[in-house]
Amino acid sequence: MKRRQFIRSTGTVLSLPILLKGMPVSAMDKTSIFEFTDPDNDRILVLIQLNGGTDGLNMILPRDQYDNLAQVRGNILMPESRIGVLTDVTGIHPAMEKTRVLYEEGKLGVIQSVGYPNQDRSHFRSMDIWQSASPATEFWHTGWLGRHFGANYPDFPQNYPNSAHPHPFAVSLGRVVSETCEGPNGNFSITLDDPFKLIELFEGMDESAPDTPYGEELAFLRISKAQTNAYSESIVAAAGKGTNTVTYPDNTFARQLSNIALLISGGLSTKVYVVSLGGFDTHANQVEEADKTTGEHAALLQTLSDGMAAFQQDLFQLGLEERVLGMTFSEFGRRIRSNESMGTDHGTAVPLLLFGSCVNNQILGQNPDIDPEVDVREGLPMQYDFRDVYGTVLKDWFGVEEAAIRQLIHPDFQPLPILKVCNLTTSTGNYPLEPSTIQATLYPNPCQQWLYLDVALPDAMQIRVTLLDAMGGQLAVVSSRSLSAGMHQFPIEMRSFPAGTYFVRIQHGQHVTTRRIVKVRT
Amino acid sequence: MEEPTTQTTGLDKYTGEWSLTDAAHLLRRTTFGPTLAEIKMGHAMGLDALVQRLIQPSPMPNPPLNANFADDPNVPIGSTWVTAPYVAGENLERYRNQSLAAWTLQQQLQEQFSLREKMTLFWYNHFAVHNINDPKYLYKHVTLLRENALGNFKQLVKEVTLDPAMLRFLNGNQNTRQAPNENFARELLELYTIGKGPQVAQGDYSNYTEEDVIAIAKVLTGWRDIGYRTLNPSVQLHAIFVANRHDTSTKQLSHRFGQAVIPNMGEREYSYLIDLIFQQQEVARFICRKLYRWFVYYVIDESVENAIIEPLADLLIRQNFELQEVVRTLISSEHFFDRLNRGPMIKHPLDFMIGLLRQFEVPQAPNPGPNQTVFFQLYNIASSMDMNYYNPPSVSGWKAWHQEPGYYRFWINGTTLPIRENFSDALAGPGLRFAGHLLRINALAFLDKLDEPADVNALIESCIVALLPQDLTADQKAALKDLLVGGLPDFVWNNEYVAYKTEPGNTNAAALVEGKFRNFIKTMLSMAEYYLS
Repeated sequence: MKRRQFIRSTGTVLSLPILLKGMPVSAMDKTSIFEFTDPDNDRILVLIQLNGGTDGLNMILPRDQYDNLAQVRGNILMPESRIGVLTDVTGIHPAMEKTRVLYEEGKLGVIQSVGYPNQDRSHFRSMDIWQSASPATEFWHTGWLGRHFGANYPDFPQNYPNSAHPHPFAVSLGRVVSETCEGPNGNFSITLDDPFKLIELFEGMDESAPDTPYGEELAFLRISKAQTNAYSESIVAAAGKGTNTVTYPDNTFARQLSNIALLISGGLSTKVYVVSLGGFDTHANQVEEADKTTGEHAALLQTLSDGMAAFQQDLFQLGLEERVLGMTFSEFGRRIRSNESMGTDHGTAVPLLLFGSCVNNQILGQNPDIDPEVDVREGLPMQYDFRDVYGTVLKDWFGVEEAAIRQLIHPDFQPLPILKVCNLTTSTGNYPLEPSTIQATLYPNPCQQWLYLDVALPDAMQIRVTLLDAMGGQLAVVSSRSLSAGMHQFPIEMRSFPAGTYFVRIQHGQHVTTRRIVKVRT
Repeated sequence: MEEPTTQTTGLDKYTGEWSLTDAAHLLRRTTFGPTLAEIKMGHAMGLDALVQRLIQPSPMPNPPLNANFADDPNVPIGSTWVTAPYVAGENLERYRNQSLAAWTLQQQLQEQFSLREKMTLFWYNHFAVHNINDPKYLYKHVTLLRENALGNFKQLVKEVTLDPAMLRFLNGNQNTRQAPNENFARELLELYTIGKGPQVAQGDYSNYTEEDVIAIAKVLTGWRDIGYRTLNPSVQLHAIFVANRHDTSTKQLSHRFGQAVIPNMGEREYSYLIDLIFQQQEVARFICRKLYRWFVYYVIDESVENAIIEPLADLLIRQNFELQEVVRTLISSEHFFDRLNRGPMIKHPLDFMIGLLRQFEVPQAPNPGPNQTVFFQLYNIASSMDMNYYNPPSVSGWKAWHQEPGYYRFWINGTTLPIRENFSDALAGPGLRFAGHLLRINALAFLDKLDEPADVNALIESCIVALLPQDLTADQKAALKDLLVGGLPDFVWNNEYVAYKTEPGNTNAAALVEGKFRNFIKTMLSMAEYYLS
């Protein structure tokens, strides 16, 4: 239904040129060969992007490391008694009290120390990596969700919306589309500011655009207008039918979450919503000196937490809880040591939060070990690869086949037990995790020229062992093979590396351990 | 559909026949939207003279004034606030911010044949200072950018390094010997000078390494800004060097800078460092790529890299980082005027809004108070399209100039499109009323200045030259014409126009022409073609 147009001409189909600038051919081939989305799947993902790199250690606190934290970040560390309790060893910032309650109610999962090998400490580049799910060394121009949609709807945006897909695939709240939804030929998300406002843009005339850069941009503009009109109708209709049952906090972030709940309750079949919260780049004045539970970071955490909690309560009362999964992400965590400006600098891995009634109510992974002698440059070493989190969401939440995920996200995909059998058809469940059955011993520590890893396996299994430096750089893959039951020894050559701190990461199935070792001068 | 033909033109001077559309292209890319009269004037000047006019220095504007705020004891209405102190308990930042915002857009509106305002915005996007809650700091910063808009890139980086707003923005003022803060050091390399190459090893980004970030942070220790939100009338904004906060150790850079060693040089050390960074060829390429994306197009493929970026960077180095000849060469080149570079740039929100006001010579409010309110409201409309001049979204600036693969397309989405169209609909139609002033296109005045306004076909051609980057199709022209003649023969328009012109008392004739022509303008301004430059 097009309202504002010139007289329709003979119906040349609006064509959008294929725009694959710089997209690696391998990644393109990958995405057109399978069709996998379960059409009955009505599940929704709400992504919360925390811009600037949040200080994970001021968010999810290793309570068993308090004394060591006091030595390396005493100027920003809150009193021990003020830390909210999640488990006997792990705590949460008191500004996130409502998130702590979500945990108590079984609706929160925490994944410790999520990152990727060879952490890049540029905001811009690292956010690109998190949004595209590319390896740190490769530049991909599609987003992880955009590739997923693109595999299923390769012609998009041409001839969308249509009767089979009348609603937007994804919605970015605010004024810019999210790169996570960048597909092979265009972004799968539309932006949304006011869901009640019906948009009627002038669409001009259906004409083919010339085969030039001008024509490309013209076609992009025309299709953007046509889609905005078409999707606007479905959004306004859903907003009219939908409802909110709670009063949200009075800020943009919470309003955006309330609009998401409204649209879901109004029947919009959008699969992905993306919201952002900025300001996490707290190089200075992260906390208030007088009360270190307050300050810029605490205020942001409170906005995040209160918004999430109101949203979750709304979904519960609307009976939509089991359809919606929430997930936070940030481009990196910050350094373990604080700086003297009462702030923290760019670091490495960062905890990631999952919320909803279908998450495994757990803290996946170990508390980071805080060494009181930690180098000023060190961030938290990675325990979980964020691509395994994404892959598991695609697999267990959206029903994507594992083989497809290996192509869409990364070939070493390892599902994680982060979602439980809820209304899921598949689940990597196994929650709670069985205790690890392997024994691993690293010696000598400190080491000099060689380090040895002894592993005792009760059964044949694949284990992946990598050596990381203190900055999160992957120095070596020690093993990624299937091994027989019994004892295995891996000598790890250390003599070519300078003295300092290193990490050995051992992953088998869903178990990951990251062990700190020190190399001393020979 | 095939990929567009690749660009084959280079930096040689454009020697094609100098046409009205060439002049229009040059003026649209370098100023905030020319009128038809300006296009004709530019055409008459010829390429060389017009480019010379665009790049030659012009006097700096007068500072922003207190237009209408009665409660600033330090600044009477009609005077400037840019050096005046604050007053305890008074929120003076608010009106001063509004004054700065409105004044900034007025500079864009009032400028004629000069690319200084577009270059000022270029630098604002480049350094992307934000979250500074003192408009005096922002004024000082933007003045530095404006003064050096087409000056020396190396000198500009040096001055920005010690600019009070920058010292606050990236925590340079907290960067001390005891506690180095590497925020500015990192962005100096990654975003301001050399750029980040591929990560080839852990912490090694081809052009620099993590060790360089740490060493450079030490080089820059000791600087502080003075005067933030000061109440003291004798304190003016400036940067100072505090020797005991400076790290006096010898700093060692990586192999990416030839293992350069920087001994303690106190307050001259930053300058030595920046000279050292600028010895790397990549700095010139980095800034030339940004200039290319600013003036030409966002796609930089291998042929553009070889035919444009490389020689332009060489020229910049030969010019010792003076920008004037580099920009002159770029905007006079056959590549700039290449058919493939006509029209593929999506106008950013300010280009769209200010351009529209300029092209139609929309009258400003007669008094400074209301006029400032009008421009502040315009500033807010641009902000609602994600272009808040003094608050870019991140330290990388606006996505349109750096984020692959979308680039300029980031301006366009379901939120911003309606704002554009509502704006042009209002200006072509009933107008926008702010502070009692009606901001509205004078449709008949615009019509009368077109070539042969009585001839409906000539009028459409004239509008296309004035407003659009490329010609329209015959079907589009027919549809536009239909808005003026409504299916009747062409002479009907001629009759109506002549009646309006020759019968001064005939208000019906004027109203008839105006009504139709407003609808015509409204339609043209909401065509996708008008969003392109």
